[in-house]
Amino acid sequence: MKIVVCIKQVPEADKVAIDPETGTLIREGVASILNPFCEYALDVAVKLKEQFPEHNIEIITLSMGPPQAKQALIRTLELGADKAYLLSDRKFAGSDCLATSYALKEGIAKLVPDFDLILTGKQAIDGDTAQVPAEIAEHLGIPQITYGLDVTLNNRRIEVKKETEEGYQVVSARLPALVSISRGSNIRRLPSIQEVINARRKPLEVVSVEDIKIDETKVGLKASPTQVVKIFAPPPKAAGEIIDGRDDPKAAAKKLLEFLIEHKFV
Amino acid sequence: MTVQAIKTEIVQPSDFESIRMVKGADTIAKQYSVYLTDESRIDGGHAEWLFFPTNEQEVVAIIQKMRENNTPITIEGARTGIVGGAVPIDGGAIISMERMNEVKGLGFDETVQRWYIRVGPGITLNELKTILKQKKLDDNISIPSGSDAVKRFKEDKKSYFYPVAPTEMSAAIGGTIAANASGATSFKYGPTRNWIRRIRVVLSNGEVLDITRGQYKAQDGIFRISTSTGDIEIKVPSYTMPKAKNAAGLYTKPDMDLIDLFIGSEGLFGVITEAELWLEEYHPACGCVVFFDDADKAFNFVSLLRETDGIEPEFIEYFDENAIKLLKQKQEEDPKFVNMPKIFDNAISAISFDFLYSEETIVKSLEIVKQLLEQCNSSVDMSWCGYEDRELERFKHFRHAVPEIVNNIIAERKKKYHGIHKLGTDMSVTNEHLVDMMHFYQQTLREEGLEYAIWGHIGDNHVHVNILPRNMEELEKGKAIYKKFAQKAVEYGGSVSAEHGIGKIKHEYLLIMFGKEGIDEMKRVKEALDPQYLFCANNMFPK
Repeated sequence: MKIVVCIKQVPEADKVAIDPETGTLIREGVASILNPFCEYALDVAVKLKEQFPEHNIEIITLSMGPPQAKQALIRTLELGADKAYLLSDRKFAGSDCLATSYALKEGIAKLVPDFDLILTGKQAIDGDTAQVPAEIAEHLGIPQITYGLDVTLNNRRIEVKKETEEGYQVVSARLPALVSISRGSNIRRLPSIQEVINARRKPLEVVSVEDIKIDETKVGLKASPTQVVKIFAPPPKAAGEIIDGRDDPKAAAKKLLEFLIEHKFV
Repeated sequence: MTVQAIKTEIVQPSDFESIRMVKGADTIAKQYSVYLTDESRIDGGHAEWLFFPTNEQEVVAIIQKMRENNTPITIEGARTGIVGGAVPIDGGAIISMERMNEVKGLGFDETVQRWYIRVGPGITLNELKTILKQKKLDDNISIPSGSDAVKRFKEDKKSYFYPVAPTEMSAAIGGTIAANASGATSFKYGPTRNWIRRIRVVLSNGEVLDITRGQYKAQDGIFRISTSTGDIEIKVPSYTMPKAKNAAGLYTKPDMDLIDLFIGSEGLFGVITEAELWLEEYHPACGCVVFFDDADKAFNFVSLLRETDGIEPEFIEYFDENAIKLLKQKQEEDPKFVNMPKIFDNAISAISFDFLYSEETIVKSLEIVKQLLEQCNSSVDMSWCGYEDRELERFKHFRHAVPEIVNNIIAERKKKYHGIHKLGTDMSVTNEHLVDMMHFYQQTLREEGLEYAIWGHIGDNHVHVNILPRNMEELEKGKAIYKKFAQKAVEYGGSVSAEHGIGKIKHEYLLIMFGKEGIDEMKRVKEALDPQYLFCANNMFPK
């Protein structure tokens, strides 16, 4: 069984600031890391591999990015992936969600045509669009389950516990399918010394547009309809008002009701 | 025989009344009580004056004024010391150096081909770290002035850092010089002493010494300082320094550099008003934590790691069985506090270390580590490895988590027994005595049935034994054992204090180390430079 985990290298988001004058991201001195949601997706893949040895699961990680994105793929190899591909080519430069999902779809279809399951993070912490997973599934014409928390295998089907606004649902789908993962452990795994050594002996292939015959007109800046008009930091939230109900809950409830009526919420 | 003398400079004092100051013991006790103690939490600090000078002229004015009435002076940096060096127990005046915290210059020493930075003593290690990382320097502070040193520094593709890294990075540079501070990375870089190029010091007579390393050496153990009122002759102590890491007592060598007399002198000789620090090229590091199912295997690994070529750790840190137990317990209660994967079930002890990282060399380096582990019959699988900055931060946090847990336990016990405190040792021995000393610690503490945990800088044979008394009786028992440890450390060619210093709380251990004669020699140096005992009396030895 083959699981493809799509990953992205991102700047460590909490350390990125926006230059108030130019509106661009200040990335100087900020480290590049494996997107945390992608790491959750990898964690799910590794857990399945350990849980279902009878499936001989092979984990293949795939990314599109500049040559330095190799480092994020090496990290996936340290953390349990078996093989990694990096789609890297100047022709990909400027790709938006649509062009990126097309490139990744092409990568999956041509490099791992016999895939069974695709796992992704729900979104990347730099762009936060959450578009790419859904678009990959659409390009491939396979079922998708979003906001996954936990995945289990059952014959040729998967069962996914997914987050909803009210709680969670358990959804099942036939394989092949794509699941985007929205949460994971808040304590990151650490590889052992042996795993760090092994990672550098596992296959990591850099693939160009030419190598797998991707349609050039569908990737890169020209194939990207999204236009970023402006980047800005969201304005700080105004301080709310706290009604302290510890001494007199009834009076507090009354005050709250008045507030809601006054602002036409009820 | 003629001895080359260093001349003091006469600096025009500023107007005393214009200096920012707080007067009155009551006001200081009520509104400025943080200035009355340091991280040692010693009680009894009090003062009539609290000064916040912003430049050297103001420091001179303060000293001249305080001298008139023989008012004792305590010099304060960021008060992060843990032996009470900055606690004004004699009252009088406090000079807080916190406002003299500017970066004053940056230069390149052509003779040794190294960068250095000139700072005020109040700047903290953290501030310095950020400034260097971002190369956030004004273009007009180049040394020599008018040169393009800062511009060249910024254009230099390499990054630089100041390698002294005690646990408390909020420490001020002046304090770290007075304490000859060090930390985990002193295994590779040595203590503060190795990183000081030049200092300016205001002496008790109000005159200033400007000392550049390499310019004033003792001849046959004698220094001569020419002041406006005559020459001062200083005879350096005749005791031999331990070969192990040491922060206890005055530094001495017959042909020593004058700057080394001031570094680590715990504020006894004057107020440091400016310092130049060497900078080192920064390299990324790879960190490892390896676990062992037997304590002796860990000691064996340490000596192999120290001897091996091809790996140069910046630090080698130890966690004993009880430290690991505390971490495991904490991990069950609050996994995020420890912020690490689950500690391996059969781990008894652990060693944390690092080495220079590059993608080209990492496999080779780790293969060496693997071999060493195999030589100690230990598994490479019981390990964690990481090289991203965020992972290195986690390793650091993991090392600091143990003392935090211990401090919390003691804080809890304090509620029942107000006078209780932990007993943390700070002793070092020479390489060949490491294992004997570790066994001595373990055996003694087990026999006495005391609760304890051991961790720290095993690369320098310098671990912190922490005794956690459960009641006042155990506290007394612990104190007696502490003394035994000090005697044993000295017997093994080590130091009673490898990095914390002596301050006001370890006088008796310094006596064990250097004897009355040694202490008397130190006193004579003090009396030559500060006959009135104006500065920091009761640091290092009683007045």
